[in-house]
Amino acid sequence: MNRAEPLLKIRDLKVSFGMGHHEVQAVAGVSFDIFEGETLGLVGESGCGKSTTGKALMRIVEPTSGTIELDGVDLCAQKGKALRNIRTRMQMIFQDPISSLNPRRRIKDIVAEPLDCWKSVTGTERDTVVSDLLVKVGIDPQVYGNRYARQFSGGQCQRISIARSLAMRPKLLICDEMVSALDVSVQAQILNLLEDLKKEYGLTLLFIAHDLAVVKNVSDRVAVMYLGKICEIGPSNTLYEVPAHPYTKFLLGAALEADPDSPVHGDVLTGEPPSPMNPPSGCRFRTRCPFATQKCADEEPLLSEVAPGHSVACHYPLNVKTPRKRAPRTTT
Amino acid sequence: MSEFDPILLAVNDLATTFQTAGGPLPAVGGVSFELKRNETIGVVGESGSGKTVLTRTIMGLQQRTNVTVTGSVLLDGHEMVGASEMDKRALWGSEVAMIFQDPMTSLNPVMRVGKQIDESLRVRVGMSKADAKARAIELLELVGIPSPAHRYDAYPGQLSGGMRQRVVIAIALACSPKLLLADEPTTGLDVTIQAQILNLLDDLKERLHMSVILVTHDLGVVATRTSRIIVMYAGRIVEIGSTREVFSAHRMPYTRALLESSPKVSNDPHTRLVTIPGRPPNLLKLTQGCSFAPRCSYATDRCHQERPELQPADEPGHAFACWNPLPKTRKRTVKTT
Repeated sequence: MNRAEPLLKIRDLKVSFGMGHHEVQAVAGVSFDIFEGETLGLVGESGCGKSTTGKALMRIVEPTSGTIELDGVDLCAQKGKALRNIRTRMQMIFQDPISSLNPRRRIKDIVAEPLDCWKSVTGTERDTVVSDLLVKVGIDPQVYGNRYARQFSGGQCQRISIARSLAMRPKLLICDEMVSALDVSVQAQILNLLEDLKKEYGLTLLFIAHDLAVVKNVSDRVAVMYLGKICEIGPSNTLYEVPAHPYTKFLLGAALEADPDSPVHGDVLTGEPPSPMNPPSGCRFRTRCPFATQKCADEEPLLSEVAPGHSVACHYPLNVKTPRKRAPRTTT
Repeated sequence: MSEFDPILLAVNDLATTFQTAGGPLPAVGGVSFELKRNETIGVVGESGSGKTVLTRTIMGLQQRTNVTVTGSVLLDGHEMVGASEMDKRALWGSEVAMIFQDPMTSLNPVMRVGKQIDESLRVRVGMSKADAKARAIELLELVGIPSPAHRYDAYPGQLSGGMRQRVVIAIALACSPKLLLADEPTTGLDVTIQAQILNLLDDLKERLHMSVILVTHDLGVVATRTSRIIVMYAGRIVEIGSTREVFSAHRMPYTRALLESSPKVSNDPHTRLVTIPGRPPNLLKLTQGCSFAPRCSYATDRCHQERPELQPADEPGHAFACWNPLPKTRKRTVKTT
């Protein structure tokens, strides 16, 4: 893994919808890097801006400000053909597997569509490429190639979506809640498939999901979003074992483990996220945070490093002592 | 009906079959179990395993056409199978109530939420307008809605998903039911809101002495909140037992596969998940044998030809339907509390 130069560099990304009094800042200044070959998980509650971030990276929604650099090229400054060219290097997989496939086209044509748009391969070669892709995702092109999306189950449709996204051999794959509509047994199949393909194609992933267990299982690093901002980012094991932001701690506390011996959750976050139309001053989490003080209302905490690669935006981070070597902790 | 009968609900050999263009579809078959008063039982299974049809059958909510229900559902002395609409209507609300999966669509969008709670109080209990309003505000407060008197006049569209689910719970509780059927009550809600709603249900169950059937596909939801679990596959109960027993000493390979395929927060990144090959069977084309046999690594000829019935395991109350059950090993020692 090349740690030196990130594949994707996002700086102060902002996305707003609406105008004037109705303006909603869905993404309010987000900065992070994704390094080549890694999987970055992006978690948060609904409405926190994680999907909007993913879409803004593809410029499916227009960023209001900020920069998105893919391999040193700023996507926000590109347009027309140059933008189209760059976009082939990043692809997206959406949440609803069935509605993200055209119901009136045969699946082999759906998978071939990117190739057709770019006329990169034609004729028999095109068929070979499509067949190869379908085989890679575990769908027999001879039997199923001529069928329509409605003839497949959710899990199979998600496999077809993956095949389509790989057609242009992208470097970066943005997976937006790609397994949340699937049953656990199918979810496990898709997650394993994704890991295999990631290795085979040398992919870099941005994995957006609300399920903390799923994110932990696939991600090298995890970023936690709250109300349009990143509140914590760090290596997944560290972040899950010693969360520094109170929000991360509560989020993990609310995650349900399939284990009858797991402790019954005493600390449950009260209330609901405030409206992004009128976010609280200072720290955005302060209205639900049990540790909030006047300083949190007056001053916005910025992301700062508490350990190498582990940053948190909080005035009073948890589990952080003087930079001495921490004894290994086990979670219960 | 006797208040002292410890069994609130007795389901016996219940089967629900839909008549479809492709032939009879046995959505639920041969389901028998009992539920005690003030007990929470979890029903888990993948989509299409018959969880929702089972709860709707217990409630008596099928359409009258194209459905055949056989067997018996005895709820506090009342037989629900074959009961007339009038009889069922008399039981809905006060004996049994249901929370549906989608809080977004189970409320009337053009009716103030207060009025939707009032409705059953006025019709079923015959309260006056003023009494019903007072009780509705009480109920909103009970389910943890801030400034309930103000929210009484809100429309569902003005409330968040978690708030709407609280309103749905308030409606279900309006006539103090003895049995609450919660069909995926937290699916689609955020984890922090999910924890709030599950804690609320736990708390209300204790305070109002209800029994709860908690239907979910998420094993995490039932792990710490139920005393017993039913595992369903292709419309049938494949394992039933105390929650601890089902989690730690399950005998049915499907239960194990279901547990192992769910990702865990404690796993390291890039942990390979155990998968179940294939997918759930087509209920129109069920074979004579065990429905799980085509996906099961322990399957033998017998599994493909003969359907296993539920047989008791060592612990009382624990039963499984399998010809080649997993060995009686315990993954960990049972805690004595």
